Amino acid sequence: MMFRKSWVTVVSVAVAVLAAACGGSSGSSNNNSSNQTATLTVWLMNGSAPQSVIDEVNADFKSKYPNVTVNVEIQQWGDIGTKLDTALPGNTPPDVVELGNTLVAKYAAAGALEDITGKKTGFDNSATWLQSLTDSCTQAGKLYCVPYYAGSRAIIYRKDFFASAGVTPPDSMDGLLTVGQKLMDAHKSDPSFSALYYPGKYWYAALPFVWDFGGDIATQSGGKWSGALSSSSSQQGLTTLSNLVSKLSRADKTGDEAKQDAAFAQGHIAMIIANGWEVGVITDPKAGNPALKDQLGAFPSHNAGQTAPVFLGGSDLGVASRSKHQDLANAWIATLTGNKHMAEMATVGGVIPNTTSMLSLGTGINSIFFSAAKNSKFVPNSQNWASVENANVLPDMLVKIFTKQMGVADATKSASDRITTILNGGG
Amino acid sequence: MATAAAAPDLEPASSFLRRRWLSGQLFPYALITPSVAVIAGVLAFPLGMLVWLSLQHYGLRELIAHQGEWVGLGNYQAILADPLFRQVIFRSLAFTFTCVALTILLSTLIALLLLKVRRAVSVVVMSALVFVWATPVIVTVDIWQWMFDYEFGVINYLLTQLHLGNFIHHNWFDNPVQGLGVLVLVVVWGAIPFVTITVFAGLLQVPGELLDAAEVDGAGPWQRFRFVTAPMLKPIFLIVTCLSTIWDFGVFNQIYVLLNQRPSADYYTIAIYSYRESFGVSQYGLGATIAVLMVLVLIVVTLFYVRETVRQAEIA
Repeated sequence: MMFRKSWVTVVSVAVAVLAAACGGSSGSSNNNSSNQTATLTVWLMNGSAPQSVIDEVNADFKSKYPNVTVNVEIQQWGDIGTKLDTALPGNTPPDVVELGNTLVAKYAAAGALEDITGKKTGFDNSATWLQSLTDSCTQAGKLYCVPYYAGSRAIIYRKDFFASAGVTPPDSMDGLLTVGQKLMDAHKSDPSFSALYYPGKYWYAALPFVWDFGGDIATQSGGKWSGALSSSSSQQGLTTLSNLVSKLSRADKTGDEAKQDAAFAQGHIAMIIANGWEVGVITDPKAGNPALKDQLGAFPSHNAGQTAPVFLGGSDLGVASRSKHQDLANAWIATLTGNKHMAEMATVGGVIPNTTSMLSLGTGINSIFFSAAKNSKFVPNSQNWASVENANVLPDMLVKIFTKQMGVADATKSASDRITTILNGGG
Repeated sequence: MATAAAAPDLEPASSFLRRRWLSGQLFPYALITPSVAVIAGVLAFPLGMLVWLSLQHYGLRELIAHQGEWVGLGNYQAILADPLFRQVIFRSLAFTFTCVALTILLSTLIALLLLKVRRAVSVVVMSALVFVWATPVIVTVDIWQWMFDYEFGVINYLLTQLHLGNFIHHNWFDNPVQGLGVLVLVVVWGAIPFVTITVFAGLLQVPGELLDAAEVDGAGPWQRFRFVTAPMLKPIFLIVTCLSTIWDFGVFNQIYVLLNQRPSADYYTIAIYSYRESFGVSQYGLGATIAVLMVLVLIVVTLFYVRETVRQAEIA
């Protein structure tokens, strides 16, 4: 769900064509509302939609509702849980909120979001929304939000480093280790070099390893959750990852992934596991290194010729249950997620659109991330999952493993027990 | 008849009040009433709300509904049975003791040094201290974070350049004991200016004749400090120790910011723990319980200082 993104600069001719082809169909129809007067507050997350898209959405909305003022306020990911907890129960909450897909269940179950089950068909592409995002919006058969966009991770690598070390992108986990070791050998003289840069708390990137070997975070049966990270298949995945990290990474074993793009741009890293939009950050003229533009390639995580299931992050848009302008809020969401602007999100924004019907919009390096999303999994869909995230269970477990403070068996056992407790409603 | 009978009873009562008022027995209470009202409004009310919250199950659902579920002392039982809570209390107390001891020791040494140096030097040192004091905590902690950064940090670079070992890619927060050491450094660094300036102001009040007399009687520097300066500064030491204890026990910003807002359980102090339970896992009742326990522990710890301070005030 972490989408700290400055917007990606992948603009193609397709934008104009699609915008022209699909324009005009956005927004739910509402005839008698043209003279409604209201102020709508929208909370979008930092980097979710490029400013140009927000401006166009607001312009389109304004033409339908000339007397409604829309205030789009950009929020930061870091403390969003605290802000939502305090703002949503208030008497003047933000009307529209963007929620990371792992957070929705918590707010839906607590009654903070409007039940929009009956309004579903009013949104474009609601029949072809990405299944995983729709699932994240669904609680006990009711719909509480509209899928917004998704993101998946793949490995971004330096073509020039691969060429000079005489290696090609591997197609299996073993191959990844072999290739990585060759890269480490080729850069022996550089004490800062990482073949695969992996910060210790990067739990989104650890999940594919768990899933790849048939493991999972938790399983549900008879309404009870039980943590599954301590299963032998989960442990196998984490052992494989731990081995890769200890041999190929010189990243901070207690750090998180926030700085990995800046680090990659510094030139001592051959591979990172990253979201599609991070390519834009790496080649950003101010924060990154534009010279790398033609030196980047990407491939999905592989296991014996197959791709490992990736974690499908993403965002949804919900309406506050205490909002006084729920119809307007839904109309605004319909404008943003309508065909016209969703296509822009995919092409200008570089994110995976909310509908399978637009997955073909990914071009160049983006197409790799878009196709990685087809084989994707998600965290346990429980109202208590957000508490697992906020209690840092997974990052703490990874740090313990990577720093060898605990063995894989002990670390996974303690994390798994904690997850079982939290998911079943205990602190 | 009735009024005639009642009048003599009323008369003495109002004149009693007037007499008290004029003799100054009630006047001080009238003067203090506005400040008591303000303190009650900004401190007692929130504290009362906190206690009330700590007696309820108050999660996100209850927050949205504006209605908690009464559980009596259930939250207290849950927290006191939690082994993590005991670790956190122990860590907080050890951390506080270390920080306060270092702060008082270093600040006193700096203050004593300031007495001896030339005026120009003391002005420079004082200005530096005021700068440290005036910089917002979040800004300074951000800078410390960069200095101790794993990859780009200047501390690792300098230590390596000075041949004190290989600190390239040294992770200061890998080992919690070392990480807490860094945090002690950051907290003490931020606390020194206030204590130094306060102690320095106190030192200026120590009469020179007394120190001269002690010197004539053959007292060395340590004896002069131990038997002349320190007793005279006792009220000041009590108050700065008491304040430092309160501040350091509630340390939050330094740990939270330095560890990227995601401190692992090894770094939980009581304030972080309370925040995690409240805003992290949305268990506001439990979070409030921890906060109430924190206040209770703090009262016990600072009781000694408060008692001594009051005693000093009575002597004076």
